[in-house]
Amino acid sequence: MAYMSMGEAHRRITEYLNSFSDAVSSQDGASFKSLFALSSNAPSLLSLADALNIFQDANRLIKQSDNYSQFADILVPLFRSLQNYRQNNLLEAYNAFEKTANAFIQEFRNWESAWALEALYVIVYDVRVLAEKADKELASNGKSPEKLKGAGSVLMKVFGTLAGKGSKRVGALYLGTVNLCRSVIRSIETARIFDFEEFPKRDKVTYMYYTGRLEVFNENFSAADYKLSYALKYCNPQSSANIRMILKHLIPVKLSIGILPKSSLLEKYNLLEYSNIVQALRRGDLRLLRRALQDHEDRFLRSGVYLVLEKLELQVYQRLVKKIYIIQKQKDPNRAHQVKLEVIVKALKWLEIDMDVDEVECIMAILIFKNLMKGYFAHKSKVVVLSKQDPFPKLNGKPQLIEDVIPIWQSSYNLGPVSSRS
Amino acid sequence: MEGGNGNRGSSFSQSRHSRGRGRGRGRGHRFRSNQSKVSSFDERVTSSSSGSRASTSVLGDKQEEDAQPSSNFVGTCPYMCPGEILERTQRENMRDLAVFERLNGNPRKSSPALAIKKFCRTISTKYVQASDLRPIAVLENTLNYLLSLLESKEHSFEEVHDFIFDRTRSIRQDITMQNIVDNKAIYMYEGMVKFHVVSHYKLWCSISDPNTASMHHLNLEQLTKTLTSLFNLYEANRNSNYVHENEAEFHSLYVLLHLGSYSQPMGEPLSLWFRRVSTPVLKSKEMCFARRILRSSQLGNYKDFFRTAAAQASYLQFCIMMPFINEVRALALSCINFGGYKLHPYPLLDLSKYLMIKESDLESFCHSCGLEICTDESGNKLLPTKQTTFRHPKGEFQSYSFVGLQEYEKL
Repeated sequence: MAYMSMGEAHRRITEYLNSFSDAVSSQDGASFKSLFALSSNAPSLLSLADALNIFQDANRLIKQSDNYSQFADILVPLFRSLQNYRQNNLLEAYNAFEKTANAFIQEFRNWESAWALEALYVIVYDVRVLAEKADKELASNGKSPEKLKGAGSVLMKVFGTLAGKGSKRVGALYLGTVNLCRSVIRSIETARIFDFEEFPKRDKVTYMYYTGRLEVFNENFSAADYKLSYALKYCNPQSSANIRMILKHLIPVKLSIGILPKSSLLEKYNLLEYSNIVQALRRGDLRLLRRALQDHEDRFLRSGVYLVLEKLELQVYQRLVKKIYIIQKQKDPNRAHQVKLEVIVKALKWLEIDMDVDEVECIMAILIFKNLMKGYFAHKSKVVVLSKQDPFPKLNGKPQLIEDVIPIWQSSYNLGPVSSRS
Repeated sequence: MEGGNGNRGSSFSQSRHSRGRGRGRGRGHRFRSNQSKVSSFDERVTSSSSGSRASTSVLGDKQEEDAQPSSNFVGTCPYMCPGEILERTQRENMRDLAVFERLNGNPRKSSPALAIKKFCRTISTKYVQASDLRPIAVLENTLNYLLSLLESKEHSFEEVHDFIFDRTRSIRQDITMQNIVDNKAIYMYEGMVKFHVVSHYKLWCSISDPNTASMHHLNLEQLTKTLTSLFNLYEANRNSNYVHENEAEFHSLYVLLHLGSYSQPMGEPLSLWFRRVSTPVLKSKEMCFARRILRSSQLGNYKDFFRTAAAQASYLQFCIMMPFINEVRALALSCINFGGYKLHPYPLLDLSKYLMIKESDLESFCHSCGLEICTDESGNKLLPTKQTTFRHPKGEFQSYSFVGLQEYEKL
């Protein structure tokens, strides 16, 4: 430790405080982030730590100016953390830094834009590193290492904050958020001394919701289904707003695998934008599907599910052919399995959709290829011949209602609609 | 190392005043040795860092080009290449002149009309002077000159591409360092994106050559970067609901880049990106086209895919789509082979009409997919179905005409 005078210590601390408030007032993310990088062992921070240890009354300095006293919640524990870190009291260093991180997250939420994203990332990184060091210290003293778990909670809070900061216009911010989210997710999912199950339920639900949503955007449906269903299952049944948010993204996923929600569910949670889509799937009504997508285009685009819903067309075609098949079966069961392409063209025309017989053949070919229909098509005779056994296989095993999957609600979906909030 | 003295205080307040957009200069010495550690965080954060600072240049690309914008800089270099003591004469001496820069073919002599500033990866803002930077008027002329080289008949496309690729990167660097973000920048970026888009197609045509394959890959990288910067420029110049003339088309190109196996060329899901696109752009005919093409390809509706493409694709859209169309054709073949009636081999003539491909090309394509063709008594070619030898053509490359858009192939 280099020798330092009281005056020098005082000066260093004040200087740091000034850079802190300057960075905030000019929203200088780059300078700001360097103020938090404890574990980097930067000489400047180490000498600040020395200064703090010499001066011993930094809290008084913090209170001296409005510029930085407003950040006391962040600065006081940060200084304590630095001092402890310098003296190699890693447990205390972590405990204090955790407080800093929590205070920082609060403040971050209040700032207009995400200019402090890099600083947030530095803090997140150090939370984990310091937690690991603290745990090592605990373990070496024969105590149980539990700080990394606490770190996990902080990470999840950060994650929730980031994902919620959705409405800003700067393009690269979103990229940054997605990438940062990925880094945070990776942090969480690879930290070793870590048991997801032991986190408080509320944090888990939040985490599963946001990662589940990302899976929807990436069109990883089985992962999305698992995560969003989890969030739904453990979500507080009283918080309709949260349930609604989860359902908004879960329903398109379920629809893609052939599971339809009851209209009572849609009514209860004010998700009526899905009503016509469900109806279209039930009836094989392509016109209705397209119209529903058009009517709610903005809403679906903003919630990021439009591209998923568009692809439901194939299931609608399947349903349409199935209906024709059923009608034909009633008239002449022996020949019902042969469906003339012309008949399908006519059915579509009746729905005001203009499609020639070649395109219908193309659609049939795709349905067969994707196993939505079993059979073959004959180009020369312009007919599709369905397999006599199970010509319309289910998409994903037995169809289920969403409600069956969530036991805690089975009773509640019989209740009347809840007062709607958008 | 830090030593206390009054000097630090004053330089600090000085940089406070010149804050504007001057970043990176004069700041280094505060946490000097800290800088190297902190920069490792930059790498970790990757390209997200470029957007997070409120007054950072809208042009992004921070990581690679390492150019920090400064409002104090207006370039004064009157030539396409900083002359005098610097670059041009240095390169003349080192015989580091590209073919296009040589006066009368002399590898040791250039001229102000021929030499163009090279891209330099490691530029430190500390040493850059105004005379190194070209002002916007010079940059415009430089770009026009570069693009005119594309007409050149004497050199291969790869040679010309390579030269323009590098020199336009340097142009972007000059733009970034002077923080030019107005309509002129938009115009220039549009020109540069177009160059990359056309290269995307033309390089793909010779992609069986491994050198060209890596050029193609690097070109795609720059394409996406430049396109993203262009979007930021549109955003920065947004004025109520005004949409730039070409804004819709460039957005449509972004969508088309997501066809096929390029699933996330931007590292971001398309659904997330759509949320930020303005309504007038979303409703434009170019965007509707791109969205329809994307939908058809994902649903597997090859008929609608080709028909729509032939009817509406612009040249730039064609360039982006071309590397992908054989994938759609292969899908069509799989479907027909899988579900077609065994006793009715499929007439190639009909299929070639749906797939917008010449019948002879289709026959050759079938072969590269491992499928046999048979002929009937009248000499018509047919594709027998239920063949078990179907495979996706890998490694071998084919570029077949897009019937209906052949005029684009001649450009």
